[in-house]
Amino acid sequence: MRARVRALFRLLSLQASWNYERMQGIGMAFAELPLLEEVAYGDAKLRHAAIARAAEFFNANPYLASAAIGASIRAERDGEPSERISRLRTALCGPLGALGDQLFWVGSLPALLGLTLLAIAWGAGAWAVLGFLLAHNALRLSVHTWAFDMGLTYGVRVGGAIQASWLPKAVAVAGPAAGFLVGLAAPLSGAWLLERTPTRGGLLIASGIAVALLIVRRIGWRLSTAEVTLGLLALAILWDAAKGLL
Amino acid sequence: MIWTLWGYLAALVWGTAVGVDLVSFPQAMIARPVVAGTVAGWLLGDPLLGLRVGVVLELFALDVLPIGASRYPDYGPATVAAVAAGVGHPWEWALGVCTAVGLAMSLVGRWSLEQLRRRNALAAQAASAALSAGDAEVVRRLHLSALGRDAVRSLLLTGAGLLLARLLGAKIPEDPGFGQVLSWLAIGGAIAAVIGGAVRSAAHGRRLRWLLAGFAGSLILILLR
Amino acid sequence: MAIALARVDDRLIHGQVVIGWGRPLDAKMIVLVDEVVRYSDWEQEIYRMAVPADMQVVFATVQEAGARLAEWQGSPQQVIVLTGDIATMAALYSKNPAALSSINLGGVHHRPGRTERLRFLYLSPEEAAMLNDLTVHGAVITAQDLPASRAVPVAEVLG
Repeated sequence: MRARVRALFRLLSLQASWNYERMQGIGMAFAELPLLEEVAYGDAKLRHAAIARAAEFFNANPYLASAAIGASIRAERDGEPSERISRLRTALCGPLGALGDQLFWVGSLPALLGLTLLAIAWGAGAWAVLGFLLAHNALRLSVHTWAFDMGLTYGVRVGGAIQASWLPKAVAVAGPAAGFLVGLAAPLSGAWLLERTPTRGGLLIASGIAVALLIVRRIGWRLSTAEVTLGLLALAILWDAAKGLL
Repeated sequence: MIWTLWGYLAALVWGTAVGVDLVSFPQAMIARPVVAGTVAGWLLGDPLLGLRVGVVLELFALDVLPIGASRYPDYGPATVAAVAAGVGHPWEWALGVCTAVGLAMSLVGRWSLEQLRRRNALAAQAASAALSAGDAEVVRRLHLSALGRDAVRSLLLTGAGLLLARLLGAKIPEDPGFGQVLSWLAIGGAIAAVIGGAVRSAAHGRRLRWLLAGFAGSLILILLR
Repeated sequence: MAIALARVDDRLIHGQVVIGWGRPLDAKMIVLVDEVVRYSDWEQEIYRMAVPADMQVVFATVQEAGARLAEWQGSPQQVIVLTGDIATMAALYSKNPAALSSINLGGVHHRPGRTERLRFLYLSPEEAAMLNDLTVHGAVITAQDLPASRAVPVAEVLG
């Protein structure tokens, strides 16, 4: 039990040693060490082989990676052949990545941020920020432990078990919810930032944005909107400084 | 401008913490600009400004899709620096310069992340025989030293950001007219970024319809107000 | 229409494929061509797990997929054909070159014997030779991880 808690805590640092060759591999092995010591405590050869497997290439969504650790620990305990455990880990990368990215990165995270921006626009201030942190981390940590336990329970059959769980349904809802809340938050947030601006100025900015968006969509710039904005701001600041020198 | 030693040190520590949070530990999302900015404003004695700067940079950050191994800007330490640049100025005309500092540092942050990953790769390559042999001690050492490396990266990045903030903070226009123009530019860019990003990631179907519904609802609420 | 993307990616079905390419292409079907996965039901379960309900997944061997390439090419739906390595894609290409005229290299990662060509593309000498051979036979090959990034022509990668 203690090993499980230690592994789950270590897994919060999964991506610290991220690199283009093994990606999250070393982080996975680091998190798995306490569990592997339990599985193969007597047999050094077995343990070394398991650690080497654990450190191989791995890359999934960091919030769902615990499922892969749970499943491979189960497979190691069941004495599955080495080749099969490696295939299990390789197979889990992509799908756990895709599910987690959809659930968190383009789902609950933008949805909660949209809500936070809305609450700020309605005057909630720093409380909205605190609420965001609590909600996001409660969700993230409960999925983190849930996924680990799913892996540990179902082993190589974890795919079917997750597919039959609440998760794909949540993924299907998370995307549209994120779209709706970000759509709702964007103009209201803008209005909040411009609340001390006269209406004429506000309309001018709104039309500027519309034109800029159309241009970007038209020619499909390689530059992000942030980079373009930075360029414009830098030009304006430089121009002002040069004017002072003249 | 309020540049007390304690405020500066607190901002440095906070910037380091949010820098490490982005990818390394514990990914609790304190690196989000709206969180990093609000806390930075509070630490530096200007919570109002911190919240505003946080929201503007959050709108830019929502345009970023951290999927797979793609490269992304690092907005955490950048937001701390952006808030520091504007401390003590009225937010209405400090926002432009703050945003410039934040966006510039987010790109420096992206570059620093790539350097970090390159170093991590070199360290892993050097130890690849030990990794294939399943040496637990090597795994531990590689991982924890990479974590330390990211802490150093975040500290240096925040330090550089605070320096830039100090330099550009002095450029915040005394005359509200020009400052206001810069702020409008920043806010306009931020709204364009969030809408562009939302449309791009919605792409087709149901999600796009919900996005448009939210958008329409928002406009109605603004007009009714 | 039809086969909207023929991709080599050793992660097979993952976020870049489902969200990154699937959404903008409006793909309704993914064909995963792999000799081992075709006969491994637990692996199929895992790969199915990440695919949205409105997207169909077909598992096939090179033989089976080769026989149906023309059918998918003529389908009104957008289809994504995936293989885990270059050798499988080359074998598939030889079955019906016309249906797979353009090939996307989306992710071939580090393994002993491979050297880095791009961040997401590591090639062994044999794989480089296979790619060269494919271009000689008329395939248009580019390396590109996501729709928003630049499509690097294979000549640049091999050169």
